[in-house]
Amino acid sequence: MSEPVRRPSAIEALHPLTKLALMLAAVVAGAALPTIPAVLGVFVLLLVPLAVAGGCLRPFLRTCLRVLTPFLISLLLIQGFFTPGPTVLLRLGPFRYTLEGLLVGLLFSARLLVGMGAATLLMLVTRPDALMRGLVERGLPNQIAYIVITALQIVPTFQARARSILDAQRSRGLETEGPLTVRLRAFAPLVGPLILSSLMQIEERAIALEARAFNRPGRRTSLVALHDTRAQGLLRWALLAAALALVAARLVLWRTA
Amino acid sequence: MDSLKRDFNTVTLVMIPVAIAINIAVGQLALLIKVPLYLDSIGTILVGVLAGPWAGALTGFISNFIWTIAGWYTPAIAFAGVAAIIGALAGIFGRAGWPNVWWKAILAGLITGLIAAIISAPIATYVFGGVMGSGTDAIVAMARSVGLDSLGANIAQGTFSDPMDKMATYLVVFLVLRALPLRFLARFTNLKARS
Repeated sequence: MSEPVRRPSAIEALHPLTKLALMLAAVVAGAALPTIPAVLGVFVLLLVPLAVAGGCLRPFLRTCLRVLTPFLISLLLIQGFFTPGPTVLLRLGPFRYTLEGLLVGLLFSARLLVGMGAATLLMLVTRPDALMRGLVERGLPNQIAYIVITALQIVPTFQARARSILDAQRSRGLETEGPLTVRLRAFAPLVGPLILSSLMQIEERAIALEARAFNRPGRRTSLVALHDTRAQGLLRWALLAAALALVAARLVLWRTA
Repeated sequence: MDSLKRDFNTVTLVMIPVAIAINIAVGQLALLIKVPLYLDSIGTILVGVLAGPWAGALTGFISNFIWTIAGWYTPAIAFAGVAAIIGALAGIFGRAGWPNVWWKAILAGLITGLIAAIISAPIATYVFGGVMGSGTDAIVAMARSVGLDSLGANIAQGTFSDPMDKMATYLVVFLVLRALPLRFLARFTNLKARS
């Protein structure tokens, strides 16, 4: 999770919904455009410049590479060998590697690069609490924002607790390595304490929240203040229109792709 | 709308983030000790069973959203709808009291796994080109080499992996329900009381 604490870059300073709209438009474009160069164009001409402006080009490209690589390998193998086509590039026993399959694999890879790149970039330049605040101001229930933010905060403590339970049970002689049956049997003494201890804290948390008027209806003030401009409002509408136009073009013009 | 309101009291709202954290922590523990199961929906199914279909669906959906935005597993958001349906089904099974009996819990897992396999296959096929970039792709390749098309191969892979995982998950949920004190269970109205 990114926690920008330095002075925000030009992208980070945008309203979170503007960033969300940019990324969603990129995803729609990646899914709708019919050719590999066009889809890659979305990545190179939209996402990469945004990452540069956000000052996070390195982590952005590194994460994209890490996430995409396993998909790329599987896609090139499976689509290449199992997509029928006239242009055979390679024969391997009964299997033929076709050019058509290679192109299908590359197109899917390019689309995944845009889709997962957009998600990665959004999380690199947007604080989750600001994003949730932006959505709450547009009508998302407060409770949903509470769930998302709280979950993001408590997951690290849970991971730490899982580690310490693992260490504790190992130090008592629990076998966690070896054949599958041994590992499966080890699961109960690990998962049991983790789940039960966390569930037992829920009542206390609920009482604490109710004592602070958590379910009281009406307006609340927020610690997170968002800055919006007219230009950004227009940009969001333009992005929505562009996304709709792309979907329409996909349905009408590029039906075969 | 009434059933929606009833699902979401304060205890449920507090339980959902904890359940999401359980999903993630246990899912990663399963990876760590190399169990060939995902086990990443225990929390979702617990919330569904205890607090009802709406709460279960919301837990599943937000869980996958968080896998994505926290950067642990970017493709998860594409399967948020599947996770929501798994949570909703848990609410229905809970209302019928199935998770209280060990063999009915396993049956609930089997049904959930089959439904999950069928609805996630089109997503894997048309969004991800039929691969998930993990070990399960070997099963997809095998299914395609015997002549199945992309969608068929993904359904085959799902029906191989998902029921096993969901049966194990429901078995864990059954054991957790046994171990939880009745005072805690009495806070929730969805699950039929043990007879």
